[in-house]
Amino acid sequence: MYSFSNIFPPLIAGTAFASSILALARYWGSLKEHFSLSWLCFAIGLGLWFLGEASWAVYTLYLGIELPYPSIADVFWLSGYIPMLIALLLYVKAFLKVLPERVIYAITLAILVLAVLMLTVLAAPVFEAEEDLAVIFANFAYPILDTVLLYLAILGSAIFYKGKIGKSWLFITAGSISYTIADLLFSYTTTYGMYYCGHPLELLFHLGYLSLILAFHIHVKEL
Amino acid sequence: MPSPEKEFEAILLEAIDESLKSMLGESGKELVYYQLKNSFGLRKENVPEKPELFSECLYSLFGLGAKIIEATILKKLCIKLKIKYEENKDIKFADYIKSMAKRE
Repeated sequence: MYSFSNIFPPLIAGTAFASSILALARYWGSLKEHFSLSWLCFAIGLGLWFLGEASWAVYTLYLGIELPYPSIADVFWLSGYIPMLIALLLYVKAFLKVLPERVIYAITLAILVLAVLMLTVLAAPVFEAEEDLAVIFANFAYPILDTVLLYLAILGSAIFYKGKIGKSWLFITAGSISYTIADLLFSYTTTYGMYYCGHPLELLFHLGYLSLILAFHIHVKEL
Repeated sequence: MPSPEKEFEAILLEAIDESLKSMLGESGKELVYYQLKNSFGLRKENVPEKPELFSECLYSLFGLGAKIIEATILKKLCIKLKIKYEENKDIKFADYIKSMAKRE
């Protein structure tokens, strides 16, 4: 289980990265086209997440070093969110006007409530644990970034759900939900020292990557 | 000298081409035309005759997002025809095109 837990993530993250490269090859025009830029950002983001998974596997399996938390892998994972968020933002921003204001407000409110609930659940154990600042930052950064990712994914789904590319956006949303729950549980379990390599919550991360692979595959297939 | 109808059709095709390119990029534009031909049996040059089919194609691909693409095309068309674009949510894309064709 320990080996699987370390070998499988780079494989599935690598597959997600490869599927984003295929989509980029399909949609690439030039840097001036914001959709090309969006697909480039998806590829960079998933490339960084793949590096995060790969560096974790190299350290633990080949070098036999237990990585601290946060580590170089977290630098890759956290920086990967920036291009991923830009990618979704570029896509959604161009079409946002079609959504009625009440729908945008409802989605925004729901996400804010979710964010407050998540921070409330995390705040007490994280601060009680008296960890150093980097750990506290990482414990909050992941769920917050996931929530922003989820927000943009839901907006995209609301815009495109009736179209063929809507299926793709539903999978992006499903992936974002998986990452949000997984990171919340990860922050919670690491704070209480309950997390171990091969913990069932890792399945949610795999599900997140799988959802993104399907999202890109469907997008390329449908458009 | 081309007839006013042919002239309007050429301007409309230009507006569609430029709008799709500005919104979706060159590859996205080509993919829309590909879908139009393969799923709706409509060639790009026949869009002025059946704008409702083109609209249907955009909705089948982008859902509500199609509205933004349609509005961009109409704005561009109005600029080219040197008429004021008036946004009207009650008028369908195809009807708007047809009404402009009559004006010309």
